[in-house]
Amino acid sequence: MTRRLVISLVGLLVVVLGSFAGNLVANNKPSLGLDLQGGISVTQEPVGEYDSVSLDLAVERIRDRVDSLGVAEPEIIRQGDAIVVNLPGVDNQDEALRLVQVTGAVLLRPVLLAAPNTPADTSSTTVADGSSTTLTDTASTTTTDGSSTTTPVTTLETSTTAPGGPSRHIPQAATSVPVDASTTIPVAPTGAVSSDSTLATSITEAPLGAGSPTGSDVSTSSLAPATMGDPADPTATIIVQNTDGSEIYQLGPSFATGEVFNNDAKADIISGGWGVRVTLKGGSTGADLWNVGAAQCFAKSTICPTGRMAIVLDGVVQSAPNVNQPSFSGGVDITGSFKESEAKDLARVLKSGALPVRLEVQAVQIVSPTLGDDSLHAAVVSGLIGVLLVLLFMLVYYRLLAIVVVVGITLSGLVQWNVISLLSSTNGLALSLAGIAGIIVSIGVTVDSYVVFFEKLKDELKSGRTLKNSAERGFKSAWRTILAADIVSLIGAFTLWYLTVGSVRGFAFFLGLSTLCDIIIAWFFTRPAMLLLARTKRFQRGRIFGIDNTVNATGGAA
Amino acid sequence: MSNELVTSRRGILGRLYHGETSFDFVGKRKIGFAISLILIVLTLGSLFSRSLNLGIDFKGGVAWQVPSSATMNVDAARAVLSDNGVPTENAKVQTLTNGTTSSIRIQVGDQTAEVRAKIQSDLATKAKVDVNEVSVSSVSSSWGRSITEKAVRALIAFMVLVGIYIAWRFEWRMALAAILAMLHDVLISVGVYSIIGFEVTPATVVAFLTILGFSLYDTIVVFDKVKDNIDKFGVSRTSMADITNVSMNQVLMRSLNTSLAAVLPVLSLLVLGSGVLGAIALREFAIALLVGLITGSYSSIYIASPLLSIFKQRETRYKNLKGIHATGAELAHMVITGGATGAKSIRRQNVDSDDSLVAAQSSPTSTALLTHPPRPRKKRRR
Repeated sequence: MTRRLVISLVGLLVVVLGSFAGNLVANNKPSLGLDLQGGISVTQEPVGEYDSVSLDLAVERIRDRVDSLGVAEPEIIRQGDAIVVNLPGVDNQDEALRLVQVTGAVLLRPVLLAAPNTPADTSSTTVADGSSTTLTDTASTTTTDGSSTTTPVTTLETSTTAPGGPSRHIPQAATSVPVDASTTIPVAPTGAVSSDSTLATSITEAPLGAGSPTGSDVSTSSLAPATMGDPADPTATIIVQNTDGSEIYQLGPSFATGEVFNNDAKADIISGGWGVRVTLKGGSTGADLWNVGAAQCFAKSTICPTGRMAIVLDGVVQSAPNVNQPSFSGGVDITGSFKESEAKDLARVLKSGALPVRLEVQAVQIVSPTLGDDSLHAAVVSGLIGVLLVLLFMLVYYRLLAIVVVVGITLSGLVQWNVISLLSSTNGLALSLAGIAGIIVSIGVTVDSYVVFFEKLKDELKSGRTLKNSAERGFKSAWRTILAADIVSLIGAFTLWYLTVGSVRGFAFFLGLSTLCDIIIAWFFTRPAMLLLARTKRFQRGRIFGIDNTVNATGGAA
Repeated sequence: MSNELVTSRRGILGRLYHGETSFDFVGKRKIGFAISLILIVLTLGSLFSRSLNLGIDFKGGVAWQVPSSATMNVDAARAVLSDNGVPTENAKVQTLTNGTTSSIRIQVGDQTAEVRAKIQSDLATKAKVDVNEVSVSSVSSSWGRSITEKAVRALIAFMVLVGIYIAWRFEWRMALAAILAMLHDVLISVGVYSIIGFEVTPATVVAFLTILGFSLYDTIVVFDKVKDNIDKFGVSRTSMADITNVSMNQVLMRSLNTSLAAVLPVLSLLVLGSGVLGAIALREFAIALLVGLITGSYSSIYIASPLLSIFKQRETRYKNLKGIHATGAELAHMVITGGATGAKSIRRQNVDSDDSLVAAQSSPTSTALLTHPPRPRKKRRR
């Protein structure tokens, strides 16, 4: 029995101190929520009818765009259908607000001009000279036949954004054309299949001379969309990039949205390679709209001089296939040198475009860094003083036994610190003001387990049992009470966490965490510590709790 | 209160400390019920006449907070609002002072994103601070509604789940009493907020919900004792009122200790955190926590337990003992010894003779006080 108690005590100490040391070595620290260090929180919720795929896609899009902001610990959470984006310590508020608002709408735009971009990694780190170049509007007047690599009308325009400046957002640098040879990807042969199919007609992801997005390793983009023109405005002429930033496009006003397609896009093997097959909605909202654009592009008219039609999602070209026939009926095949994953990505985009999610900003919270700092300071200082007061009270009331409370609360604090640090670095958990308040409240609950135990112990002592006996019996009955009461707290924490959003949720998490800590510490620390202490000679004698347990306390009553 | 029976040698604090009080909670239950009834009536009256001061998070709107300076005061803030075409009649503009610094908080109804950003930069210009120093929080009214709905739903789910748990772990009467006491806490906390006119923020809701958990926790510890005592007094014909009274007195010190231990950090948050150090956000938590803690501690003693005793009295086992309950010395005796030990029968034969009572109980030995005699000491092998 004694051995098991010692093992439990030592085991807990080893685990807690070990993980504490581990966290220190790994430099894991609790990360602070934006209400403690300043930052922006935006809550968006989909309105109307939407597809769950498009909501997932919207979250991914937000994540990609937020990554480009260079915020240290962005937090993007799905809470039910709501999407909460927390950007602690963000500098450029306007930019951040704009970036997190994805539309989810897929626009079909004619490609006016396409040119290869600089190496894919054009994020702020690679911009050296501070001048970024963009394609200008003059290009729109030029008709290119789509086979040439040269687009001579491109002019340079120096951006005012300084590299590595406070705003981590820098417009993508588009190199002037003609292109750096190293970035040009050899032209992939276009295996267009167009005339033979009757139902499912096809268009081909046909790279122009300049460079092909399909030839390179396309992965989710880590780039911010290019900045010219408002991509959300369907009537604007815009300049945007493709997903990996290898190509830059000038696109005309859109002639249709992704809603011309049915919600059935899927990646498939089409004539020997991966492609995407999707069907058109019938009538004026589907095939008719699509065919207007297709006809223009097929004819390479001034509206669509390159003969390519870009599928644009939130200002990023997902694919820009050549249109190989003027009129489509029923289905559309998009083929090219897709990889399986690329085809699947494109299919997902089309699917979500068919039933786009409309996200509405529901709540915005901007906390200034100073305000956050003040709150943190105040919470930590007053929290620590609160704990000290409680410990002092315990010391006065329970005298020697308060040592157990002090060590227990310290251990409980360490366990929480460990868990929060670990989750901060792995799951992006951030300690919010509400969380700190939750922890402070839970001090009361933690102390209560000791009070319950000590009071039961007192009862047992008073009825004439020995200390050793009383400790065992006292813990047994206290454990039942502690467990019952803590389970109620856990039920509360879980219900809140599951059913609410925002700060309430953070609070619930930390409340649940500290309640769990309470249970663990009570069993693995308080129990062995008290039972072992109760056997020592020192405690057997002496007066603890002010009850003289050596003499029969209640004997001389009347 | 005469305490000659067992514990006359201690003062009130001593008796509290040793868990030997003999307060007649059940007998005085009407006082507690009356106080609560008055508070609830006041709450309902206030709710109907002036309702709650809901923050923007529940009804939608925009709030800015800007450090105040020589050029930035309440009037300047109002001027910024009207310059941007926002009606100032319904705008709430307050100065928040926290120790050394102060700031201006402006709250208005729903605004477009453009107006929001414009006012933010205008405020910054006027206060001569960087635009990032202006905190903004904006909530659409539909989102506010859904937050409120979610909170209410969480509350109901919480009550149902906790009710089921207590009914399973203890019994349904305890669940009913605990949940009624909890509802009482909600009502009175809401009442305090309505009467004083504190603003209700998500932080407030969070704090309330926690306190409900805490109040329940407190109640459960008391009920656990009641359950213990029901088993203990099982054979003797002890009324439910007595059992409740005994349990209450036995856990009174624990309840007080726990409440104190919970209030201390909250007070520290309120006084130090928001008063001295000036974190406004903390004040919202702390006030709600304090209000909730006080009603919670009160209700587990004066509402939950008396209610339980009333519910339990309907059981056949306690039915014919209704109306009988010990007070004073007899109660003290039961609290200390944890058993009726014949006091009941004596009392029934000779109700007004305190002498015989004292005689019967004059010298309880330690063995008599045990619920069962200690096991004979075993020979220990060394």
